[in-house]
Amino acid sequence: MPQAFKQAPWRLQILSTSRTALWIVGLVVLGGVYLAVNSKVASAGRELLILERRHELLVRTNGELNATYAGLISPEFMMERATYLGFRPALPAEIQYLPVDGFNISVGFEAPRPLTSEEERQSMLSPSYTETLGEWISRFAIGGDQ
Amino acid sequence: MRLWKSKRAKSAQARTNRKPAPVEDAYKHSGLPPGKHSGESNSTRVPEGHSPQVQTPEGQAPRRQAPEGQAGPKQPLKQRSARPTGPLVATNKIGTTSFRGVDPPSPEFSGTTNPVSRSRIRAVTLGMGLMTVGLLFQLIRVQFGPYAPIFAARGDVGSSRLERVVPARGLIYDRDGRLLAANATSYVLEVETRQLTAASRIAIAEVLSKVLVLPLGDLYNQLSQDWVARGQFRIRLTRSDQAGEPLPINVDKYVAAVLNEFLADPYAPDLSGLSLVANPKRVYPNGELAGHVLGFVNQENEGYFGVEGYYDEWLSGKPITIARPMIPPEARAQPDPPAGVNLVLTLDMDIQQMVEYELYSAIESSGSESGEIIVMDPRNGEILALAAWPTLNPNEYEPWLVVEDGAEPVITPAVGAMFEPGSTFKVITMASALDAGVVETDSIFLDTGEIEVGGNKIRNWDGEAWGPQTMLGCMEHSLNVCLAWVASEKLGASTLYSYLNAFGIGHLTGTDLSGEISGQLRTPRHPDWTESDLGTNSFGQGVSMTPLQLMTAVAAVANDGVMVQPHIVRQIVGPSGAYSPKTIVLGRPVTAETAHTLSEMLATSLEGETAYASLAGYRLAGKTGTAQIPGDFGYDPRWTIASFIGWGPVDDPQFLVFVRLDKPETSPWGSVVAAPVFQKVVRRLVVFLEIPPDVTTG
Repeated sequence: MPQAFKQAPWRLQILSTSRTALWIVGLVVLGGVYLAVNSKVASAGRELLILERRHELLVRTNGELNATYAGLISPEFMMERATYLGFRPALPAEIQYLPVDGFNISVGFEAPRPLTSEEERQSMLSPSYTETLGEWISRFAIGGDQ
Repeated sequence: MRLWKSKRAKSAQARTNRKPAPVEDAYKHSGLPPGKHSGESNSTRVPEGHSPQVQTPEGQAPRRQAPEGQAGPKQPLKQRSARPTGPLVATNKIGTTSFRGVDPPSPEFSGTTNPVSRSRIRAVTLGMGLMTVGLLFQLIRVQFGPYAPIFAARGDVGSSRLERVVPARGLIYDRDGRLLAANATSYVLEVETRQLTAASRIAIAEVLSKVLVLPLGDLYNQLSQDWVARGQFRIRLTRSDQAGEPLPINVDKYVAAVLNEFLADPYAPDLSGLSLVANPKRVYPNGELAGHVLGFVNQENEGYFGVEGYYDEWLSGKPITIARPMIPPEARAQPDPPAGVNLVLTLDMDIQQMVEYELYSAIESSGSESGEIIVMDPRNGEILALAAWPTLNPNEYEPWLVVEDGAEPVITPAVGAMFEPGSTFKVITMASALDAGVVETDSIFLDTGEIEVGGNKIRNWDGEAWGPQTMLGCMEHSLNVCLAWVASEKLGASTLYSYLNAFGIGHLTGTDLSGEISGQLRTPRHPDWTESDLGTNSFGQGVSMTPLQLMTAVAAVANDGVMVQPHIVRQIVGPSGAYSPKTIVLGRPVTAETAHTLSEMLATSLEGETAYASLAGYRLAGKTGTAQIPGDFGYDPRWTIASFIGWGPVDDPQFLVFVRLDKPETSPWGSVVAAPVFQKVVRRLVVFLEIPPDVTTG
């Protein structure tokens, strides 16, 4: 009976349908993951743009506040304020000096460093953020840090 | 199962309809009587006279089939069926025979394929394959072909925007960390010309004219030009400066806030096209304080004069151009441009403020036209204060740029303006003579009140004869005749000018302030030099120098004969660290012994003749100066430059002070006008520098 060896057609149909469905589900999952990742990247990119603008604004605001503060402690302003409070400049004869061996009050001011460049900022990042997949694989292949 | 059978039957019927086979033959092959097979189906019955449409192989149960009337509407199913329809007889994989109308075997068991379908499949496959190959070829061509850069550029258009990023200009501090130059924001007015409408042109011109008090017509003319036709889609609105040159309109944050409210308000005048663009702006929180030292920064962020001019490249950093992505997924952290360095100056703002106050008081009390006071540490050349009158506010520098044709604005007169030093120059002449060994402190000179050098008669400041005088007396009474004698009779031209060269007269000091000039000194090599110059140069006439040159030379006397380079920057702080410039020794024009001898002479003379400059408790040395002012027709008989240069404490000099008052009205003499100012400055200076009184004299 040759029919005994024949796969039932409905089984074949279900098989092909299942395969197709599996492909579709796989594609949908992949598409979903792709969309999710892409939306996250887009969201992060948007946030980055916003943060950059905010950073620029803060830098500007910070500069203006520094300038305002410097104006408030300028010698001219402080002199006016001291005079208002009843102080006056000391005269040499009014000052008594007490020499103390080894005492040095001159502590030199050191200006803050300017904003770091991109290269230095990059070096502050963990390699996890910058290394490529190839570098990651080779790091594990050569038995580097785990 | 039932459904499957039904479908198969329908499909078979449809195929039969297309190519009907003889009914009798079909039943003959099936071995079943006509109509019998339909009775086996409990769901359908084939009406009599209708072809059964279904052929079953021998021994197989007949399939259920739909009535003819039902087969018609099902026709599309037949078209969708992928079952082979060609041959009447086919054999399966194991050699059994199947007949047309019977459900064909599945492909796994099929030994033959419909040739029509295969050809179609092949054609479609070939077509799709060709399309795929073409697509791949085009992809490779676009990516790697000779026009790949062009394609890439086209792809990048609109995805990003090129921006020029200017780093924040470096900050400037005084030696105690007080901020002298900072960064703020101004806003320039820009217009997107493609967004302008007839109404917005008028509205923008009217609003800006009222808010900024600018000519309405000028603004409207800028807005009404056909910029788009010229290919200019974004313009900056300008205003005219004092010279009539267009300058970008800059507004501060308060005006910008008002304009932004206008832009955001839907009921406000239509300002379509107008935008405010933030622009870095240099601000000087202390206003006029140390303005001449700092210089200024123009609207293009370029530094001029003073520290801003000298260190402009260092302070400004390096602007870069970046492509800022407009598509969020492509946004990346943008690189920062290399930042400008921060500077720490040698200035002490407390001393600076005090000095400026004393200068202002002296100008007021003496009726002088202008003046300067400079305080320097003679040991290392650090400039502690540098004041000049009239004052310069770097925040409003533009009036200083309006000068006569061909003239250069002098923003930092300490290095950019020269003058004839007068008697203060005698310090250098006497130092040369002492160091050359041609005279000693107690060498006697008989002053007759007049001496002729190179045919030019030289007289003392008072025109009197002072009789026999030691060198100390010559300096104490500031006798021109004596110094001319020393120069012409003792030193000689060669030796004197050699010393002057060693003191750096006529040379740049190399200080780190922009706009320095070298001064003028005619030497015997100069074609216009005459022997009379030797006599006049000895007491500071016929020689021009900057105040800082004079200070540098005299500082050598105060500093054991070591002449150091004056400088204003104490520390340079960049992203990689801090750097402190070393003290640069310019030379040793005289020996330490000579320097000590002359210092003692000048300290003694200060305690005597120029007592106005002395300060109780401190030993100071110094010299007055009263110089005539040269003009196009000789020296001006009315006006003088009164000056004083001195240092202290003599045993351990920590400061060198130079005072200069131009054209004083109350008195022409430096001993009367300038010396008291020196005293006032030193009285406060010793407190700021925490210099205890001299033990030997205190």
